[in-house]
Amino acid sequence: MSALVRMRLAGYVRTGRFLPPLISCLVVLTILYGGGNAQAGEAYGVSAIVLFPILAWQTKLLLDGEPDVQRRLARVAVGSAGREITAGLVAALIVAVPVVVIAVGLPWLEGGIRGPLYPDEPPLPSAVAAGVWAHLVVVPPALGLGAWASRAVTGTFGKGAAVLVSGAVFALVLGVRNSPLWWLAPPLLNSAHVAAHGFAALSIAGFSVHATAWSALVLGGYARVRRVRA
Amino acid sequence: MRIEGVWLRYGRRAPWVLREVDLALTDGGIAVLLGHNGAGKSTLLHAAVGTLLPARGRVVDRPTPIGWVPERFPADQPFTVSDYLTAMGRVRGLAAPAAERAATGWAERLHLIEYLRVRLSDLSKGTAQKVGLAQALVVPPRLLVLDEPTEGLDAVTLAELPVIVAEVTASGGSVLISDHSGKLVDLPGARHWIVAEGRVWAEHEATAEEGRWVIEVAVPASRAEATIAQLRAAGNDVLRVREEAP
Repeated sequence: MSALVRMRLAGYVRTGRFLPPLISCLVVLTILYGGGNAQAGEAYGVSAIVLFPILAWQTKLLLDGEPDVQRRLARVAVGSAGREITAGLVAALIVAVPVVVIAVGLPWLEGGIRGPLYPDEPPLPSAVAAGVWAHLVVVPPALGLGAWASRAVTGTFGKGAAVLVSGAVFALVLGVRNSPLWWLAPPLLNSAHVAAHGFAALSIAGFSVHATAWSALVLGGYARVRRVRA
Repeated sequence: MRIEGVWLRYGRRAPWVLREVDLALTDGGIAVLLGHNGAGKSTLLHAAVGTLLPARGRVVDRPTPIGWVPERFPADQPFTVSDYLTAMGRVRGLAAPAAERAATGWAERLHLIEYLRVRLSDLSKGTAQKVGLAQALVVPPRLLVLDEPTEGLDAVTLAELPVIVAEVTASGGSVLISDHSGKLVDLPGARHWIVAEGRVWAEHEATAEEGRWVIEVAVPASRAEATIAQLRAAGNDVLRVREEAP
């Protein structure tokens, strides 16, 4: 399976498909941090929310990278639907890592992060830890959304784009704080809120479980559909 | 491999392409699918390799590894021939040196050596088809599935195909072929599976004692060629074609 992951990563890099999401990420982060600095947890919380649709888009681009027939050839070659599906998701996870690293590291270069100025603000290490967590907790749900928007599931570019955009919008709308349907969406806004108030173990554990359960459900559904749609 | 009561279609509301297919392909056996365009030959091959799940029924005892040559090789990929074949060898479980050796070996045999550094997207249709054939063989397959493999192939490679098929069957592998061109219909030991009107059945193997009947058929002149092709595809000999006496 690792050979298929490498092959898909090589195709993704060689076609330059990584560039649009990467450039979008850099532009958004520059806009976010260009106007001044903010408390670490608050800044990271916002950038994690913004990263969600970009990571989902990137996942879709990676999974759509090979022609449909090659995807089926890969399934036959690797010997099982499960391994072929997993290889795509692992490759998507790997390309998400540098984006998260950039999102966490870039504000330090731009001077966009500051320590606490007021007594009610969390100390810097706690805020940074919570901010990093906020980014990590976004990755699996973004993979899930991007996977459902991929051509293997949706069939056409138009339907894929519709799934991607509407999925991102619903995730944000349903996931607002105090929403009665919060459980339907990944905890994007809630995790940003937690990050803004520093590393709170109980909240972080709760929202981590929520994000994991949501992602497991969405990715499990994707795998189930993909078994039929090679 | 046994195909048991298989019904196939593309989507829940789509019409059935094939219904109640019951067939068996023994180890070392060759089956050639015969039927007109759109009859469902490629659909059956997709079910055989596992890229299309039956809506009903099942495919059991599918041998592995499977070498599948699709009808159209997907050449729109950012790899050279060498990179692609080596990568597919690795995906099939070979270590890097073994994958490189297998890629080079098949490139030599299929006259692809001069194209090893050429990008797939720059290949001609026939050369790309050869790459499609090579990727299916980098690991000796226990089931080789060839979907219209003769399309665009040069005479030298075309002559090599029966040899490759014979090597696979000699090592105990099975071969399933869809060949609209008729160039592989008479492979030694090949059984014919007829695909028509949503059904598939194994052609009855005539015995020497059984004898044959001659049936005279009249069709409109405009349909003569198509009818001859269909009759031949169904494994019949067309003995004579004449204009009907007034």
